[in-house]
Amino acid sequence: MAATVITRGNVSGLGSKDFERLAVPLLDGLFNFACWLSGDPDEARDLVQETFVKSLKGFSSFREGTNFRAWMFRILRNTFLTSRTGLERRNTQQEDEDGFEESYVSGETPEIALIRRADTELVQAAITQLAPAFQEVILLADLEEMKYQEVAEALDIPIGTVMSRLARARRQIRNHIVAAAGKKKIVGIRS
Amino acid sequence: MNCQWREKVGPYVDGELEPSVQQAVADHLQSCADCSAAAAEQQEIKKAVRVAGKRFSAPPELYASVRKQIHPGGNVWPWWKFSAIAAALIVVAALSFAWFTRARTENAVVAQLIDQHVTMLASANPVDVISSNKHVVKPWFQGKLSFTFNPPELAADSPFTLLGGKLVYTQHYPGAELVYQVRQHKISVFIFQARDVRGEPSATDQTFTVKGWQQGGLQYYVVTDAAREDADRLAAIFKDANQQ
Repeated sequence: MAATVITRGNVSGLGSKDFERLAVPLLDGLFNFACWLSGDPDEARDLVQETFVKSLKGFSSFREGTNFRAWMFRILRNTFLTSRTGLERRNTQQEDEDGFEESYVSGETPEIALIRRADTELVQAAITQLAPAFQEVILLADLEEMKYQEVAEALDIPIGTVMSRLARARRQIRNHIVAAAGKKKIVGIRS
Repeated sequence: MNCQWREKVGPYVDGELEPSVQQAVADHLQSCADCSAAAAEQQEIKKAVRVAGKRFSAPPELYASVRKQIHPGGNVWPWWKFSAIAAALIVVAALSFAWFTRARTENAVVAQLIDQHVTMLASANPVDVISSNKHVVKPWFQGKLSFTFNPPELAADSPFTLLGGKLVYTQHYPGAELVYQVRQHKISVFIFQARDVRGEPSATDQTFTVKGWQQGGLQYYVVTDAAREDADRLAAIFKDANQQ
């Protein structure tokens, strides 16, 4: 979905109809993101509703140049972080981002084929095992197809952090898939 | 892995680089197996996450709830409005079906009457009772029909001449066909009980005029290939004669 940026030309006189036109198409993505964050559809429903309440209140003071989608996801994420589940997650699952080293294998790899063949459940398990900081970055970047700038706005982090977390999230997913394949005695496909 | 391009592979896969740098990385991937493999892996992971990440869909009630938040107080249509619209649509559909069915029935009656009229025109014995005297023709139907009618008394200077009558059946119900001459044309006047054969079609195609009306519990049809004015005029005469 392309980013919707509110410009000076259309910021004045924005009403509930405009909000509905912009926000409702994001509902499915917001709900999906909330489910991933909270791990509970019921809690996700509450998070989305609260997100809409907050964003509707703040819509009248919307500033030009703001990315609406990033703004909505940011409200959702902040709402989650201040929830009981969010606070628990934040206190227990933050991972050290220092010392990130590339460890991609060289050359034509059987891992590429393994990832390509990985079923949905395996990939979902790989996403689930990510720390929230990595999970939210990769979901926004790869699922919601946000640009780095949008992800940075939504998560309120620098672009450099987006890049490093995204790289690390992908590496962890790759390792999870390869490890799971190894457990299943899947033989490498290197020819 | 010490390739200086390595850190640009991720942004390259994500399309985040300046066009010139994007092209430079693409060129580099042609000659660097390490970066090429890393790019391929990231591309596959992106695709896998895009598919697997879409795990949950917002339930319909959440959409309804959110819309209610946006438009508190009624812009969100409650269930009873949808029910009312559904009921209205059903009524419209039923009425349309009834109208369509009735229209089809009326069209079928008109078609049968025209057929009867054409059969009369082509027949060597167009009528069963041959008489220009209504006092001969009318009694002929007694015992054949369960109703009576009153053929008009034609004036001496009337352009219409009664030729006779015959018993007909339309929609399985018996009726009278009176045949009149006007100049070189013939006019059939069909008379049925209104409860048996209904409708008041007034149609004119390229060949025939059909004019129908109800009066005194009877259904009348004038069918002719003569001018419509002739049909209207004979109809008016019949109406005058049967006024109660």
